[in-house]
Amino acid sequence: MKKPAAPLTPAVFHILLALADGPLHGYAIMQAVEESAGPTPPMGPGTIYGSLQRMEEAGLVKELPAPGDDRRRTFALQPAGRRALAGEAERLARLTALVRSKRLVPDEA
Amino acid sequence: MERDRWSLRVYRLLLRIYPSRFRDRFAADLEADFAQMLASRGRRAAWSRALADFWRAIPLTHTHDQRTRQRQYAVTLGAESHMGSLLFDVRHAVRALAKSPVFTAVTVITLALGIGANSAIFSLVNAVLLRPLGYQEPDRLMMIHEVIPESKMPRFGVSPADYLDLDQYQGSFTDLGAYRTQSMELSGNGDPETVVVAQTSAAVFLLLGVGAADGRTFLPEEDQADQSVVVISDGLRRRRFAASSPVGGRLVLDRRPYTIVGVMPAGFQFPKRGPQFNSEPADAFMPLVFNPFERQARGMFYNHSVIGRLRDGVTLDQATRDTAALASRVQENYPPQLRNAFSVQIAATPYLDEISGQVRRPLMILLGAVGLVLLVACANVANLFLSRAVARQREIGVRAALGAARHRLFQMLLVESLLLAFTGGALGLVIGHWAVRAVPAVITTSLPGVSDVTLDVRVVAFTLILSLATALFFGLVPMAPGMRRELADALREGARTSGGRSQHRLQAGLVVTSVAFAFVLLVGAGLLIRSFTNLMNVESGISAMNVLTMDVTLPHAGYNQAARVRSFYQTVTDRLLDIPGVKAAAVTSDLPLRVDGERRAFTPEGWDPSTPMPPTIALTWAHGDYFTTFGIPVIRGRTFSAAEQMENRQVAMVSQNIADTYWPGQDPIGKRLKWGLPSSPAPWQTVIGVVGDVVDGPLGSDPVIHVYVPYTEAADQVLASPVAGFLRRMRIAVNARVDAASLTPSVRGAIAAVDPALAVANVTTMEEVVRDLSAPQRFSATVLTAFAAGALLLAGIGLYGVLAFGVAQRTPEIGVRLALGAGRGEVLGLVVRQGMVLAGVGLALGLAGALAASRVLRAMLFETNVYDPWTFAIVPVILAAVSLAACYLPARRAARVDPMVALRNE
Repeated sequence: MKKPAAPLTPAVFHILLALADGPLHGYAIMQAVEESAGPTPPMGPGTIYGSLQRMEEAGLVKELPAPGDDRRRTFALQPAGRRALAGEAERLARLTALVRSKRLVPDEA
Repeated sequence: MERDRWSLRVYRLLLRIYPSRFRDRFAADLEADFAQMLASRGRRAAWSRALADFWRAIPLTHTHDQRTRQRQYAVTLGAESHMGSLLFDVRHAVRALAKSPVFTAVTVITLALGIGANSAIFSLVNAVLLRPLGYQEPDRLMMIHEVIPESKMPRFGVSPADYLDLDQYQGSFTDLGAYRTQSMELSGNGDPETVVVAQTSAAVFLLLGVGAADGRTFLPEEDQADQSVVVISDGLRRRRFAASSPVGGRLVLDRRPYTIVGVMPAGFQFPKRGPQFNSEPADAFMPLVFNPFERQARGMFYNHSVIGRLRDGVTLDQATRDTAALASRVQENYPPQLRNAFSVQIAATPYLDEISGQVRRPLMILLGAVGLVLLVACANVANLFLSRAVARQREIGVRAALGAARHRLFQMLLVESLLLAFTGGALGLVIGHWAVRAVPAVITTSLPGVSDVTLDVRVVAFTLILSLATALFFGLVPMAPGMRRELADALREGARTSGGRSQHRLQAGLVVTSVAFAFVLLVGAGLLIRSFTNLMNVESGISAMNVLTMDVTLPHAGYNQAARVRSFYQTVTDRLLDIPGVKAAAVTSDLPLRVDGERRAFTPEGWDPSTPMPPTIALTWAHGDYFTTFGIPVIRGRTFSAAEQMENRQVAMVSQNIADTYWPGQDPIGKRLKWGLPSSPAPWQTVIGVVGDVVDGPLGSDPVIHVYVPYTEAADQVLASPVAGFLRRMRIAVNARVDAASLTPSVRGAIAAVDPALAVANVTTMEEVVRDLSAPQRFSATVLTAFAAGALLLAGIGLYGVLAFGVAQRTPEIGVRLALGAGRGEVLGLVVRQGMVLAGVGLALGLAGALAASRVLRAMLFETNVYDPWTFAIVPVILAAVSLAACYLPARRAARVDPMVALRNE
């Protein structure tokens, strides 16, 4: 499979975002997603592993060969993943700028 | 913590829903995550997250899994993950069933009714025959009773002297224990109430193998001399002692204090209902202490139940034989004049038979009947499925042609039937739950070992198995011919679809079976209804209209002199007559129609000693206008005068059958009789009147011979005895000009006016007594009738369904016939004939089945021939009428076919 066409699904985006700071295991990803995704319906481990599986096939992430200290599977961002994240972030930023220019939300600055 | 472990276990099980590859890789992590979530956020949060997670993740992982496989194995249908295709099938089945709502509704309702009726009856069977009694190895318990053939009574309890002999002589039992029950007044802390007290030998608890939950049961020495100790049931503890342990506390029974030494465990019930005597579950237990007179009295007090536990290695048969052999040794201890007058036999019977023996057969018959109903329901549903399968052949053919694997098609159909069966089963459980609640209380309380009938785990399991079995049946059998057919044929046949010959034959067979089963059930119901009507038409000898009765037991404290006991009942009777609306009032030792009175040996004047001893008579002690109260006709002579009611003049009244048997062709008035044997020193009693015969026992039994004496003749020592409650517990009865039940407060008031502390028990009308006596028969007849009606309806629907479906399929053919000049009447006749042939075959088979099956009902029938010609004549007529109606509707539709429309569709 080639690089997925933007926009990314929210699940994929939040997982990529969580992994941007370094490799994490599933539970830690879940906690990070809870923070970044805010009040949207929370994601459970099953959804996260399911997504990771797909993202792995798409070359976005990779499982690290040695499991973590508590023997959980740890996943790390791949270059393709970082590119996808950057692309999505850029797209979101563009959207944000567009929204701002239309004065749909009050300016924070 | 324990519950967290359970959560984990359940979660682990749920993980199996994921595709296996996903599981293999991530199961350990998922478990660890769940455990961490449990620990850090609590069970609630963990589970709500987990369930939402399943909802999202399962489709995600399964579709991914399928895509992976497809990539790997190119296009191999049927190789998808099982779970994914199952989810797909469930969704598909729901959609397909929703598209044919009539089929779905009829199927589910048919199944629900069949399964509901089954689980209700199974609940009864479970409660009576399967639920444990709460004793250790109850199959090793036996009961002993005595038989005196000369008495014409089927059996007696055991007398104290005979029991003591048996206990000493027997070798088959580890222990024997005796018990008897009586009502006592419970007072102090709270309202007075009447409780059932079982006086038991200390060995009884030992041989039941049940200990106290709190405190202890009786010590061996406690049944040797009066110790004033009592063990109470858990129910009584909960009623009278809130939270604290009552052990060591006091219980006031019949105004005498007893020390509570133990509380039995919750659920412990003794004695069980079922045996003929002493079978009221007790609230309290006290040691059974025989007084010196009872210990040596022979030929009387045959009112104790005796129970024993078999020694290891002794079989039931062996014990029965050994016990019977003890009779001669026991009888040697009888005084010679008694020994010459009658013989005593001793019989041991398995305890379980005593408990449930009488009801096992009726219950099994109901279970069989309800099984037939379920079979008819199954046949119907199978028929529905067959018709549907035929109609869907084209759809299946298309699917197969497009490459669906057979096992996938099969799975799809199986999922549909499973879904229907489980929905039907769930609904059936609800119906069963209602049905069980509708079982009248008099049935549940009269059943042995049952305090309440509920749907329990076993019943739910039974229902689940039924649902599964029916689902497999429908899933596999009706589909089999559809699957066997070359699927391509379905396409070649073009727009028209029709079943093969085998389907038609199968459907015809199912209809015939339904009709035959309905026939059998109708005959059974008919016979029971006939029997019930016969029973209700039997003369009981009394008039039960507007008679109210209640029990009063006088405690020894406060009533320790015979004069006070007599004066109490005389005063109450007088006060009852002052109540407006009361026509007559009486106090009596027993009620008519109940086997609870005293039985005595007697000698009629002029009896020839060379002929067999007269059987024992039923003896009723009464004060007031007993005969008017119960509507018993006085045939000759007169009733007791006021003077005879106030002092002992040695007078008696006898039933017609005594006069006819012992003084035939003579005037019985002025004849004499006495208690006991010809040699007995009892004084002669003069007969002053003859009254009608009264049935004193189950409805439909022969009237017993009966003697009535004034209450005032009761011996002083009996009335004043601290031990026997007999003749101190009396029934108060009034015959009212108004609705009897409405007088309850006034009658209670009249009793309370004489002694406000007395407890009143068993308030009932005689009409209720009659109704309760016939309740088992009424219940069986009603239930079987309901089953038969259900089966009849189902058979009718089945016949209708098959014909209607046939007509729909043959519409073009019928159109051609009509176009070629066939009359509408001919078409009508064609369809009706086809249906009635099926019904006819069903009738013939049903007749044969009913002739064979009705024999099992023989024991339940009262004065009704198992081949009752009326029943066997009416049932075929009913069935034929219903069948005709079922045939007519589709036939009419066939006759109304418009040939133009039918042919245009060709």
